[in-house]
Amino acid sequence: MPGLQVPLEHVLMMAAALFIAGLVGLMVRRNIIFILMSLEVMLNASALAFVAAGAHWGQADGQIIFMLILTVAAAEVSVGLGLVLLLQRRFKTLDMDNANRLRD
Amino acid sequence: MNLAAMQGLLPLLVLGLGAAVLMLQISIRRQLGWSYAITVATLLLGAAAMEPAMQVAPLQVTPLLRVDNLGLFFGSLFCLSGAVTAVISRDYLRSREGENEEYFLLLLLSTLGAVILAYSTHVAALLLGLELLSVALYALIAYPERGTLPLEAAIKYLVLSGAASATLLFGFALIYAALGSLEYAEIAVQISAGRAATSPALILMGAAMVFAGLGFKLSVVPFHMWTPDVYEGAPAPISGFLAGVSKGAVFIAVLRWFLESGFFQYSSLLAGITLLSIASILVGNLLALLQTNVKRILAYSSIAHLGYLLIVLVAAGVSPEPGLAVEAGGYYVVAYVITTLAAFSLLGLISRQSGDREYDQLSDLAGLFWKQPGLAALFTVALLSLAGIPLTAGFIGKFYLISAGVDAALWGLLAALVIGSAIGIFYYLRIIYTMTTVGEQANPGTTADMLVGSRLVVYLLIFAMLYLGIVPEPLMGYLRTIL
Amino acid sequence: MLDFLWLIPLLPLASAALLMVTAGSLPRPLIAACGAGSVGLAALCVLLTGLSWAHDPVPRQMELWTWMQVGTLRPTIGFYLDGLTLVMMSVITGVGFLIHLYSTEFMEEDESLSRYFAYMNLFVAAMLILVMADNLLFLYLGWEGVGLCSYLLVGFWYRDPVNGAAARKAFVVTRIGDTAMALGLLLLFTELGTLDIQQLAELAQGKWQPGDTTIVLATALLLGGAVGKSAQLPLHTWLPDAMAGPTPVSALIHAATMVTAGVYLIARNHELFLLAPPTLLAVAVLGLLTLLLAAFTALNQHDIKRILAYSTISQIGYMFLGLGVGAWSAGIFHLVTHAFFKALLFLAAGAVIHCLHHEHNIFRMGGLRTRLPVAFWSFLIGSAALAALPFTSGFYSKDQILLAAYQWPQIGPWLWAGGLLGALLTAIYSFRLVFIVFFGEAQTEPDRQPGWRMALPLSILCVASIVGGWISLPLAEALPATQSGHPAAAVEWISIAIPVIGVSLAYLIFLGRQLDLSALVNSGLGQRLHQFWYSGWRMDALYNWLWVRPYQFTARLLKDEPVDLAYNGVVHTSVALHHLLSNLQTGRMRWYASTMVGGLIVLLAVLARAG
Repeated sequence: MPGLQVPLEHVLMMAAALFIAGLVGLMVRRNIIFILMSLEVMLNASALAFVAAGAHWGQADGQIIFMLILTVAAAEVSVGLGLVLLLQRRFKTLDMDNANRLRD
Repeated sequence: MNLAAMQGLLPLLVLGLGAAVLMLQISIRRQLGWSYAITVATLLLGAAAMEPAMQVAPLQVTPLLRVDNLGLFFGSLFCLSGAVTAVISRDYLRSREGENEEYFLLLLLSTLGAVILAYSTHVAALLLGLELLSVALYALIAYPERGTLPLEAAIKYLVLSGAASATLLFGFALIYAALGSLEYAEIAVQISAGRAATSPALILMGAAMVFAGLGFKLSVVPFHMWTPDVYEGAPAPISGFLAGVSKGAVFIAVLRWFLESGFFQYSSLLAGITLLSIASILVGNLLALLQTNVKRILAYSSIAHLGYLLIVLVAAGVSPEPGLAVEAGGYYVVAYVITTLAAFSLLGLISRQSGDREYDQLSDLAGLFWKQPGLAALFTVALLSLAGIPLTAGFIGKFYLISAGVDAALWGLLAALVIGSAIGIFYYLRIIYTMTTVGEQANPGTTADMLVGSRLVVYLLIFAMLYLGIVPEPLMGYLRTIL
Repeated sequence: MLDFLWLIPLLPLASAALLMVTAGSLPRPLIAACGAGSVGLAALCVLLTGLSWAHDPVPRQMELWTWMQVGTLRPTIGFYLDGLTLVMMSVITGVGFLIHLYSTEFMEEDESLSRYFAYMNLFVAAMLILVMADNLLFLYLGWEGVGLCSYLLVGFWYRDPVNGAAARKAFVVTRIGDTAMALGLLLLFTELGTLDIQQLAELAQGKWQPGDTTIVLATALLLGGAVGKSAQLPLHTWLPDAMAGPTPVSALIHAATMVTAGVYLIARNHELFLLAPPTLLAVAVLGLLTLLLAAFTALNQHDIKRILAYSTISQIGYMFLGLGVGAWSAGIFHLVTHAFFKALLFLAAGAVIHCLHHEHNIFRMGGLRTRLPVAFWSFLIGSAALAALPFTSGFYSKDQILLAAYQWPQIGPWLWAGGLLGALLTAIYSFRLVFIVFFGEAQTEPDRQPGWRMALPLSILCVASIVGGWISLPLAEALPATQSGHPAAAVEWISIAIPVIGVSLAYLIFLGRQLDLSALVNSGLGQRLHQFWYSGWRMDALYNWLWVRPYQFTARLLKDEPVDLAYNGVVHTSVALHHLLSNLQTGRMRWYASTMVGGLIVLLAVLARAG
């Protein structure tokens, strides 16, 4: 059945709120694990927006993109977690503010 | 999927097959020489596969990919650039311990991502290409086991790049919500059909977010902060790949998105791009001014160069006949990719046996002219080309760009370009000057122990930069026919 | 042979490149062979070209290569071959080869032989490009190339700061003209959309009426370039100082070829100049004034090379006069004969200087007639041609110019009379030189005799200086004919008589001593006039007073003042901005993410406002 049961705007607002929540997390969190989680939230917020828009237009495209985003997010995070392990081993901390040797 | 489509996608198939073979080889028996050989062979074959593919072009293969001369040409440019990176990396990795076979696998996958970007005509293809390129690069940046710098660089790049991807996707989602299409050509149809009028705010917001996301990959100000840190931390050949291939591929993708989906019609978007372009040119050049780390200088200079390149987008949007601007953009990308590769190749090659750190300080280059005249010549030509001195590829590129700018009467952008180039000459020439001074520290290994492949690549790059500067017309003529 | 036209400039260019790359590591005989041989081969190629041209004398254009094509701009490397090009090429490679041969002996003991020949070959290549180019942009490349080589060769002995200063002066003064010329090129390009010489001529004739402001301005700017390069008033002051270079350099660059580039430029673009009668008038008047001024000055010099330098300025003045009155072929004809006899004079002077411990002052020479017979005969023949004594080459060419001037409407007779006065002075100063240097008491003994490599070029140039007037140049196609009609016989007779009178006067004053001018010279007025002329009409002082001093004064005034502040301000601002921005690169990822968010918000705001 084509169409969306709730107004598209509401879902987009919801997605935007999630996105902003992720962004804020990115800016204020210092622990790399939480930063990666914020990243996930941002990616999934856009995925949600795609699903909603796809439903609105009655197309499967939105959901396909959603799957793609999930895959991409998984790939990103798996590499990310690998790096987290290394970070813990070499810096003895997960606080990203300590990793600032590369600077002007 | 018929035979013609297979033929059109041959470069992609070759690269994918090569990656599979490489994976098998690694799992059967680790042997760096073999991995290296397979990688280079695959990349060269991928570049050569352009020839058969061109016979079926232009061809739309599924809504995702478009096989046309533009994509094929730049696809093979990226393959060749990947091959250059592989050759330099081989020399770079020789003295560095560890299991380096996967390094080449990642490089191959990353190049595949770049080639997909050059073909992309759909959001999904863009996403796939972009992520294939980036995810492989995260690992490549963190590859060396030296110290903490590569790791720090990789984490910064991963997190910020992920955020940029999310922004980009959110932007596309908004555009999708407004127009109901993910395919560039379809978007263009919808825009011209007037459907955009119902929700212009959504579309503009979406476009802004898409541009911000792609602007991050292009390291356009104010999305540029990561660039020097990541380039400094990454192994030099990978920095070159990041600066050259990754940015070149994303720029081609942006060019396609921008032109094919008709976003150039939005004058407000053009105003935003103008702003970003001017900011990039000025900030990039100013940041490089007194920098003493050569990799950071090159990073800042690449920010400025992408600022120059953005002029192309504005010119293409403003001028009624966008041909000249697109040609200029194509030429500039070629010149920029080759020159950037050359510059970072030098850093990779002098750091062959530098142990834990790389020779990336300005003082490390002191006296290079007397120790390794061949490499110094390579770097000199590359710097002159970056500065846009006549008889180098960079000069023609900049000249082309200025012509396009004048054609579209973009005086503000041209003023920024001129001021930026003037600042640029200072720090480029400072590096050349340093190379001529008599230095006592640093003893980058002699040329004698450079691998044959590296030497060949050095000569090829010098030749390419000079050839494109002295005999630019063949490439110009070719670009005119394909764009 | 015509297909191999590109070989002609390439030969000296390749030799220059070889000599530069090897940087003196080749054995000296090889350097000399390479330097002189490449120009010799080029001369041979020109000869072959001339022969095949003689079979089929049709102008042709050869486009070798397009550098690039951006919009309407399409700079090409291409050659245009017609009679004029052929004449210029023959002079450059022919006289050039003789001078190179001469140099192999003259510069034999110089430690920088390789550098010398590299510069000389580069010069020949650039000069060939200048005359062979089919478009003004390529011509300009050659034009700047010869300027660069002139700079390098004037300052060849750079250890003496005086030479460096002379080189700088030559470069800066000609640069004023070059800038004017560049502006002229830009103007022509914006107006007509091409720089191809033939197309320019066609388009200009279609677009403008004679005397239209734009074409007058464009040709005046081109004239500015010509005046600078050819050392005409008011940009002539660099040439006498340029004598600081080795003598063969003076012979090749500052007498035979480069300084006549301005004449070539005007002749090559005569279609444009014909559309601008006011500019042509300016050419004639400038030429006349220059030739008189330089002749007076030459009369009062005592450095042998400076006398020749002023006479060069004066003779180019004749060429300009010829061009200005529409005697195109006569102007080029005089260019050719002048190249022969002035190269001869310079080389002979070089022989004297070479054999006389680098003595330049003519009053410390004397009596060299029997001691340096080769130099004497060369000098005698060269001076006869310079003075335009009947049956020498200079006579025919100068005569044609004067006759054409006489027939020019309105001020023609005045131009003619001025030219005659110049001819009289020329005869006097050239034979003053001969009589003082080669007759009378010996002052300095020569310590050697010129060898065959110096004597042979001198002999060949002697022959050319005499018979040069009988050659008919293939210019009929390339340049418009001079208007015909013979003036009264008296006019012809006067122009024949004047040089003879001049020589006799010189004899009476400087050798026979029948005419004693010492009272006149020693009188207060005479002394002052002598000083005035000796210093070249105080042009240097005038320029010094007019331009250099005020400039230096302003520079001193502004040393720590507003203008410098502005420049320093740019630097300080850049550095301050650099530090400001650099401090933002903190290395903290969260800060980076925040700037990205900020950037996104700004971008959204811009779009919201603009949209």
